[in-house]
Amino acid sequence: MEQLVQQLVNGLLIGLVYSLLAIGLTLIWGVMNVLNFAHGEFLMIGMFMSYWLYALAGVDPLFSIPVNAVALFLLGMFIYRYIISKVMQGPALAQLVVTFGISIFIANFAALIWTPNFRSIEHTLLSGTWDISGIKLSIPKFVTSIGSVVTSCGVFWFLRNTRTGKAILAVEMDREAALIMGINTDRINSLSFGIGSALVGVAGALLATHYYIYPFVGGTFGLTCFCIVALGGFGSIEGAFIAGILVGVVQTLGGYIFNPAYKLAIVFAMYLITVWIRPQGLRGW
Amino acid sequence: MVLAVCAMILALGVSHAPAQQKVIKIGALYPLTGNLAATGMDCKRGADLAVEIINGKFDLNLPFAKDEGIPNLGEAKIEIIYADTKGEPKNGLAEAERLITQEKVVALIGAYQSAVTKTASQAAERLKIPYVCSDSSSPTLTERDFKYFFRVSPHDGTMARNQFEFLKDLETKMGKKIKTVAIVYENTEFGANVAKMQKQYAKEFGYEVVADLAYAANASDVTSEVGKIMSAKPDVVMHAAYITDAILFTKTFKEMNLVPQGFLTMAGYVESDYLPTVKSDGNYFLVRSTFALDLAKKKPMVGQVAELYQKKYNIPMGENTARSFSAPFVLADAFNRAKSTDPEAVVKALLETNIPGDQIINPWKGIQFDPKSHQNIHASAMLVQILDQAYYTVWPFDAASRDAVWPFPPWKDRK
Amino acid sequence: MSTITGKRLALGGAVLALLIILPLVVASPFGQHVMILTFMFAMCGVAWNLMGGYAGMFSFGQVAFFGIGAYTSSFLLLTFNISPWFGLVAGGVIASLLAAAIGYPCSNLRGHYFAIASIAFGEIIRIVFNNWQTVGAAEGLTIPMMKESLANFMFHSSKLPYYYIMLAFLLLAVAVCYWVSTSKMGYYLRAIKEGHDIAQVLGVNVVRYRLYAIMISAFLTAMAGTFYAQYILYIDPESVMILAISVQIVLVAMLGGANTVLGPVVGAAILITLSEYSRAWLGYKGTGVDMIAYGTLITIISMYLPNGVWGSIISLTERGK
Repeated sequence: MEQLVQQLVNGLLIGLVYSLLAIGLTLIWGVMNVLNFAHGEFLMIGMFMSYWLYALAGVDPLFSIPVNAVALFLLGMFIYRYIISKVMQGPALAQLVVTFGISIFIANFAALIWTPNFRSIEHTLLSGTWDISGIKLSIPKFVTSIGSVVTSCGVFWFLRNTRTGKAILAVEMDREAALIMGINTDRINSLSFGIGSALVGVAGALLATHYYIYPFVGGTFGLTCFCIVALGGFGSIEGAFIAGILVGVVQTLGGYIFNPAYKLAIVFAMYLITVWIRPQGLRGW
Repeated sequence: MVLAVCAMILALGVSHAPAQQKVIKIGALYPLTGNLAATGMDCKRGADLAVEIINGKFDLNLPFAKDEGIPNLGEAKIEIIYADTKGEPKNGLAEAERLITQEKVVALIGAYQSAVTKTASQAAERLKIPYVCSDSSSPTLTERDFKYFFRVSPHDGTMARNQFEFLKDLETKMGKKIKTVAIVYENTEFGANVAKMQKQYAKEFGYEVVADLAYAANASDVTSEVGKIMSAKPDVVMHAAYITDAILFTKTFKEMNLVPQGFLTMAGYVESDYLPTVKSDGNYFLVRSTFALDLAKKKPMVGQVAELYQKKYNIPMGENTARSFSAPFVLADAFNRAKSTDPEAVVKALLETNIPGDQIINPWKGIQFDPKSHQNIHASAMLVQILDQAYYTVWPFDAASRDAVWPFPPWKDRK
Repeated sequence: MSTITGKRLALGGAVLALLIILPLVVASPFGQHVMILTFMFAMCGVAWNLMGGYAGMFSFGQVAFFGIGAYTSSFLLLTFNISPWFGLVAGGVIASLLAAAIGYPCSNLRGHYFAIASIAFGEIIRIVFNNWQTVGAAEGLTIPMMKESLANFMFHSSKLPYYYIMLAFLLLAVAVCYWVSTSKMGYYLRAIKEGHDIAQVLGVNVVRYRLYAIMISAFLTAMAGTFYAQYILYIDPESVMILAISVQIVLVAMLGGANTVLGPVVGAAILITLSEYSRAWLGYKGTGVDMIAYGTLITIISMYLPNGVWGSIISLTERGK
């Protein structure tokens, strides 16, 4: 019984990590209808940035959060401006494929300049595990989860309560109408790509406190992330957040109760069943 | 047409600089890019060092170290032509064929991943070129009645049996019984084969398997896996992993406070990047290995080689490197005795290989191939334990440099 | 869709003649291997086009059919000693039935949802096979070396028979694709792609035609899978059921030209040749330069030739008229 509760807790913890990764991706998808295949690689860049700040300047990963956010925001806008915007007029397939090309480039370029070896951050402000009446709670994972909740709420608030945020939402809902209303959709695209990337940069900093870092780490999270975003629904921040938690819990509990070898299959089956019933995902429109 | 252009490129072909008079070309297949690039580069460094020793003059007790090149072939030098397999079997096939037919190599070594070695050696068999493997561990490789394939290193069946022999020896030494094991393995060709062997030997040696747990190596989280192991309450956890899962499981074992009597592991835990990444959390894990730096105590030559490696590459010599290090020597020895690089002569010479134990860096009696399976009959694994963030030989007990620490000290009791 | 004019027929014939003579001129096994792989991916790309290029269903799960083809023929051969040619057809049938079974509930998914569903499907199949003891689970299946013959679908002394068989398969796929695209079905598929709802209003049985496209696509892809098994002689889920193969198929089709018949062939000729040769020439250093170049190439082609290389060539020549 205790183990079951432990699994639930851990499922929530990893689920919240997934949520944070997913909201960046769903924002980009919702605004531009682009599924950013390079999302995992942006995460990897974020993780490496935190690593280098730690290794070269002794900066604890927690303090690298703002640095990552800004750097990846700029990177996202750069990539949008010079690459993605060029394919926005073209067929949807080209948009999908271009981000795939970027992902291969980034991962292998990272392997070239940083070597394919594994890194990790040792002594951070957060390490260790709390023992709460038998249930183990990893401190870095817990803080990451808090970070995820805070960031998600922040994004949610931003979208609903600021001018820019509302403009983003408007473009998500109806691109043409937003254009007619005078919103510069290209600028919104660029901003969204930037914000989506910044979010994943934050995730990178938080993950770097307890996860291993190497050029191909993006692949570990990427696939699950796409599934979560689709499960949550096109563009919906709440959807991505809920779906992330759901996947984390189902994956962990399902793996524990049945068979860990089928963990991913259970998640994918859940996705298929959900979209068969509700083709726009949990909270998509 | 695009195809015509491509055809022109194909026809032109490519090869390296024209061979100088006395150069023997051998081909090496490794995953030099992609997920396992770090491992592939380890293997490459091992093979490179071996060839450097063979070609140059070194005061080491290794075959041809003191000579320059292969004496009976007019001091011919060995040159390795590398090919990147990216870890895919179809590339193993293609690169093996390319190296043989275009680069005209006279032998092949590699390819680390057994699935890749499988197809690559098949190509070599078809093209009648000797293939000396010293780094792939699937037992199936030497069960195919191949004529041209030879394996220097032990296979997973032998190594699984070694693990259980260790447990039995430990029981005798401690005077306490060990009853249950959990067999945990990453779910591809490597792990699945290991698990099969371990289940077989568990039965033979009389241990009860309380958990048989396959998992996906690229999982982002292994909480459910560790949870299942904990629920089974095994005395010993046997884990076959690659490096990413070795790291992740280690951290999760600590986080969830899994403390069995001991962990017996394979592969990932002895990768060069494992200890630098998990640091002190790796302490007290036992790994099967064919090499450890402390072998230098009984065999000074090992220390000299390790020092050469450290000086050349600025990193310590690890197990993968040590494995790939062997094959070039075996081939050089065969070329020398055959006085030729003709494949049939080389195969005949390989069958007669008898390199004594003091001339290899591994702790074996020597290198001698079984006439039918072509497996090195002396190959076996020792058990090393990570202590003070370094690998120490702990079994066989008479070859050990330190006593094994058993049982596994609880996580919270460590500093 | 371009019609077959006399000029085009002659050009096509010339290319075909070239392809037939090519392996005799380029005698290196590696060169022949690259061409065989090119044809194999071209075939899968053409098959993908039926679903993706024409009907707008961007499938990233084609590898499931590829793998099922490979596993069906290999399993039947190893267990019941059934000829791989029969296994080829059996694999195709099983793949298309499975495609219909999964395609039906997915048929009203749009765009990215469909894409992710196809990924989900592919991954579920991979995981199932990876744990299914009867078909070898993670250890895979090894096809034993048998006597060289057409009946055995196995050749050792030369790659030429493999080359011609794969070329024949590819021509079959191209012919099927061409037939579909110029037939009533092709017309309906394009209508479905343009607008799901519009097509329905026009009375097109959307579901049925989508299923046809999916089934034919699956059958052809499974054939390629059987070929792979008989060529490489070892299959496991890590080599015939991974997402990377599905992505490669999409890339080949898209970068060649996603709604042209020959687009995927051109795409494969460029991508496969380039990636194989850059690995052979540059890979040995371990720098990953070949992959960096590959990623750059994909990015650039999608930016500047969004209709694919062949697609752009066609629109250029058509504009010229």
